[in-house]
Amino acid sequence: MKSGKGKWGYIWWHWVTLILHLLVILLFTKGFLLTRTELPFYSHSSDSHHSQCLSSHSNSSSWTKPSVNRVIIIVLDALRFDFLAPSTFFPESKAWMDKLQVLKNAASTHPSSARIFKAIADPPTTSLQRLKGLMTGGLPTFVDVGNSFGAPAIVEDNFLNQLVQNGKKVVMMGDDTWTQLFPHHFERSYPYPSFNVKDLHTVDNGCIDHLFPSLYEEDWDVLIAHFLGVDHAGHIFGVDSTPMIEKLEQYNKVLERVIEVLENQSGPGNLHENTLLVVMGDHGQTLNGDHGGGSSEEVETAIFSMSFKQPPSVVPPEFDTYSCQLDLDGKNVCISSMQQLDFAVTMSALLGIPFPYGSIGKVNPELYALGAGSQNLDVSQELSESDTWMQNYANTMCINSWQVKRYIDAYSASSAVGFSHDDLSRIASVYAQAEDHWSHSTKQLLINRNNDSDTLVPVLKMQINAYFIFLSTVAELARSKWTEFNLNLMGTGIGIMLISLVFQFLAILRANKLHSVTSSSSRDSWITSAATFSIFLLGIRACSFLSNSYILEEGKVANFLLSTSGIVALRQSIVNDKLLMESVGFLLLSTFCRFVIEVGLSKQAATSAFMKGYTSWILNIASGLPVWDYAAEVLPMLVLVLLGFWLYKATNGSIFVWPWKYVILGTILSYMLIILQWITDSSNRFGVALMPESIGRNSIPRIVYAIALGQFIFMAFGQLFKDNYLDCKTSLVAKTTAMLSTWSSIVILLSGKQGPMIALVSISGGYCIMRLNNIEEDNKEHHRSFSGGPFPVMQWSLFATCLFFCSGHWCAFDGLRYGAAFIGFEEFMLVRQAILLTIDTFGFSIILPVFGLPLLIATKYQTNRGKHFLFTQLSQMYSTYGFITAVMMTFTILCVTIQRRHLMVWGLFAPKFVFDVFGLILTDVLICFASIYYFVEGKDDLQLKSSGR
Amino acid sequence: MDRRKSREKTTAKDASTVETLPPPQISASEAFMVNLVCVFGLAVAFSIANKGYSFALVSDPSPTLFFIWIIQLPIVILLFSRYRQNPQRCTYLRAVGRGMLGVPVGALLNSLGAIALGAPVTFQYFPKTVNWSLMMSLLTIVPPSCVLGSSWADWRRIFAQTKASGSVEYLICLPAHGAVIGGWFGAWPMPLDWERPWQEWPISVSYGAIAGYLVGVVASCGFVLAHGRSQRVKRD
Repeated sequence: MKSGKGKWGYIWWHWVTLILHLLVILLFTKGFLLTRTELPFYSHSSDSHHSQCLSSHSNSSSWTKPSVNRVIIIVLDALRFDFLAPSTFFPESKAWMDKLQVLKNAASTHPSSARIFKAIADPPTTSLQRLKGLMTGGLPTFVDVGNSFGAPAIVEDNFLNQLVQNGKKVVMMGDDTWTQLFPHHFERSYPYPSFNVKDLHTVDNGCIDHLFPSLYEEDWDVLIAHFLGVDHAGHIFGVDSTPMIEKLEQYNKVLERVIEVLENQSGPGNLHENTLLVVMGDHGQTLNGDHGGGSSEEVETAIFSMSFKQPPSVVPPEFDTYSCQLDLDGKNVCISSMQQLDFAVTMSALLGIPFPYGSIGKVNPELYALGAGSQNLDVSQELSESDTWMQNYANTMCINSWQVKRYIDAYSASSAVGFSHDDLSRIASVYAQAEDHWSHSTKQLLINRNNDSDTLVPVLKMQINAYFIFLSTVAELARSKWTEFNLNLMGTGIGIMLISLVFQFLAILRANKLHSVTSSSSRDSWITSAATFSIFLLGIRACSFLSNSYILEEGKVANFLLSTSGIVALRQSIVNDKLLMESVGFLLLSTFCRFVIEVGLSKQAATSAFMKGYTSWILNIASGLPVWDYAAEVLPMLVLVLLGFWLYKATNGSIFVWPWKYVILGTILSYMLIILQWITDSSNRFGVALMPESIGRNSIPRIVYAIALGQFIFMAFGQLFKDNYLDCKTSLVAKTTAMLSTWSSIVILLSGKQGPMIALVSISGGYCIMRLNNIEEDNKEHHRSFSGGPFPVMQWSLFATCLFFCSGHWCAFDGLRYGAAFIGFEEFMLVRQAILLTIDTFGFSIILPVFGLPLLIATKYQTNRGKHFLFTQLSQMYSTYGFITAVMMTFTILCVTIQRRHLMVWGLFAPKFVFDVFGLILTDVLICFASIYYFVEGKDDLQLKSSGR
Repeated sequence: MDRRKSREKTTAKDASTVETLPPPQISASEAFMVNLVCVFGLAVAFSIANKGYSFALVSDPSPTLFFIWIIQLPIVILLFSRYRQNPQRCTYLRAVGRGMLGVPVGALLNSLGAIALGAPVTFQYFPKTVNWSLMMSLLTIVPPSCVLGSSWADWRRIFAQTKASGSVEYLICLPAHGAVIGGWFGAWPMPLDWERPWQEWPISVSYGAIAGYLVGVVASCGFVLAHGRSQRVKRD
């Protein structure tokens, strides 16, 4: 055996795998998430001469006639549609409905000047993406999600840019994402940090403090106030909670005051004579307060808009989309619906500035009509207000369509993989039809002003309809085809992935070959069938990724397979008549996991399916009685005490010598600190303050992090010294335990109260798998080469997946527990919070399982087989584990490639893809670290090996 | 696959010393008849439920499954008790008795296995789960409990190791395995978003189990034929 290469002989395979995988991810992601090319073009006021349309004033160069002077945009982050709409629009009235009374009353008392819209956002529904979409009038792309934590400035043409270019002044207050997106656009700005979700009030109070003084000032044309409280209340407490309702009531008061001020100032010659108020959400949220995906609750938000000029009601019924209901007070409330896509261009049209170059929205007639109060300056006598407005609107639509067509042409010309030829020609023909109609009939009629409304109106309606058809064709096409998949890159990525799979497979086989002497000795039927069975399990699990339903229920699928493997293990233990307890215990454990996963999934389902609560009996028991509250507080602490006690007992054992012993003692200290933290927390909740809040909240978590850091450093130093163990098996156990215990304290701290339970479950599950691994051992001669083959590793991996779902995560961005990133820290710092979030998300499912894998080997062999044998096995196990992860990743990639035109690609497949990418890279990196940490340099002591034989 | 192993465990407790006699033998035509009667029983149950009471498995799973197991119950127990081991020491009535005992025990094990694999446990599914597990019990555990009784060694040999020998053992081993594996595969369409009524628990699983059972029945006929031929060759 060549131990000449030493330690690196075991390790280099993992590094090569890591590099291959990085390459795959790089290529594939580039091809898959490439999405939209941002064009560096900007609209200019003079451009509109190129169009066929009438310029609004004979000498002015603006695109449309300005119809409002000032706009106040109040953004309420994560405003659900049912926060604003009256409860009578929904089958059931809920506690959080009907709280924004003032907006509803305004809409019902002034139906022509105030309107409520149901605004449909495009996923991904994260704030940054939505702000970008709202301002550019384009479709935000998925790749921006990655930038959501460090917002880059928008370089594309957008509404704010046009405002600034045309000499308008913008004032902003609230969410600091705006200043990151638009660093140079604001006249004044009052940004507040947005990422601390625990803080419900700082941003809002800051907004309120600056909003009211600003209302009396003259130095702005557009005012943006972005409130974050509802979003944060949703993230922390959920929609159906007192803080949420308090927030909504607070907003109601604020908006009442705003409307009052504006109304008082709306007289002729006053400050707000021609001001438009817009109150809008950037996206919705689920009942859990999550958002990011494409479910109806997340994309449905509301826009309320009010003009103080009392515009006449001008929109002909053909273009109106409202539906009316009586509200609880018996007043008639009408709600229209629009796309958020249309916001930028409609606002631009109202203010009379050029439309953003890349906008593909249409000027919404109902929202545009709110500016009708000042549009009718040049009314010709024989036409009604409504007809004049329609003339104006038809011309606006003409400019709108021309601008969209210009963008589409420029886009196809400059982007390598634009729209397909068929689609382009289809768009062109629809546009040509509309333009034809325009230049041959409508334009003549408009120029020639002496027509009566009977001839004019039908023509105008037809014209507007033609533009509607064109714009909706473009929007539909853009939605379906926007993301440009680079199939070549994706294909290359898949190819390299397959190569890496072959490579990993060779690595597994190679380890077998190194032990060819022993492997031929007994090729037992169980080993072969177990290997076949694990390949079967792996295959069926991998194939399940090809369907969206199975991805949605991934936790259940993994658990189903885990239980199946448990049943097979039980059967095997009956054959051998031993380890019955362990296999039954494992089966019970997986049954337990199943219920926990179901509770987690029901949490997810409750958010997406509106009122269709899954009343699991566990939830029924858990709610209600106050005894349960106390039990839920106390039980985790008791379990944590138990874990600490186990560790303490373990350190008393002879196998832990100095470096490792102190590492573990450090963990016990951390556990005690965590318990202290929880006691303080719960006593605060029950009204007893044991410790000043300022000390308790952050200092203890920080101490725990510091201890863990110290432990890592300690272990790194421990590596430098020659350990004084006689055999490397014991040393491996000691090192593994030390490493696991160090991680466990951080992971438990971040997971919160459920942490100790899941830790207990993972320890018992891991123990069962370890014991079952020995099922065939020691009644035969221990000479046989390889453990249970891949079977225990497969179980290990399935179990890890189940733990991911048990700990309340799922593969979507709303499944991330952002709160965990702020344990111990109040302020946001990208790298630090990202690390904490990663540890929370993958702690139980990747970090602990990967570092715990050596235990499978170490408990397997009673006798010491020598270093080389042990390490070859360990290396093989890691290869197998990496291989399993990589196979699943391969199928995710394949699935994403096949389903790239699927309806749910951004809602479901892409998040799954991103989670898997993170998981794969993390697994690979951790395997590399683990192999450096566990594999010790040094000669294989020969006499030990010969005694083993 | 779950149920079969766990079930042996319980029977193990009352395992008494049994001299291993040669397993009972029946001719191929008799085995064929036994299978035919069982399948016929299933068909009759379905047609009574369907024609007589217009119950379909998809729309009314509970009553249909109830019909299946209530009709299969006498057929299976009376039929398989004839092929009990050690007919000298064990009367026909005793075999019937342990068959009856096997019904609830098997149902319990089947339902436990199903719950471990993710069968819903809410109250509205309770009657369905009960009826389904009773049916599964009749397809899997009742025949061996009539034939084998409490012989732990035989249970283990047939179900854990899948080493059946002799025509009767083929008759009890293969259809039972078929039903369990069929049920396992039958669970796979359940999460799909096709919104079909048959994706509800336990309809697709019952279909899978019955399909697997039928495959097992056909296979067991084949094995019995092959076995009989090899026996004859040996005798020659």
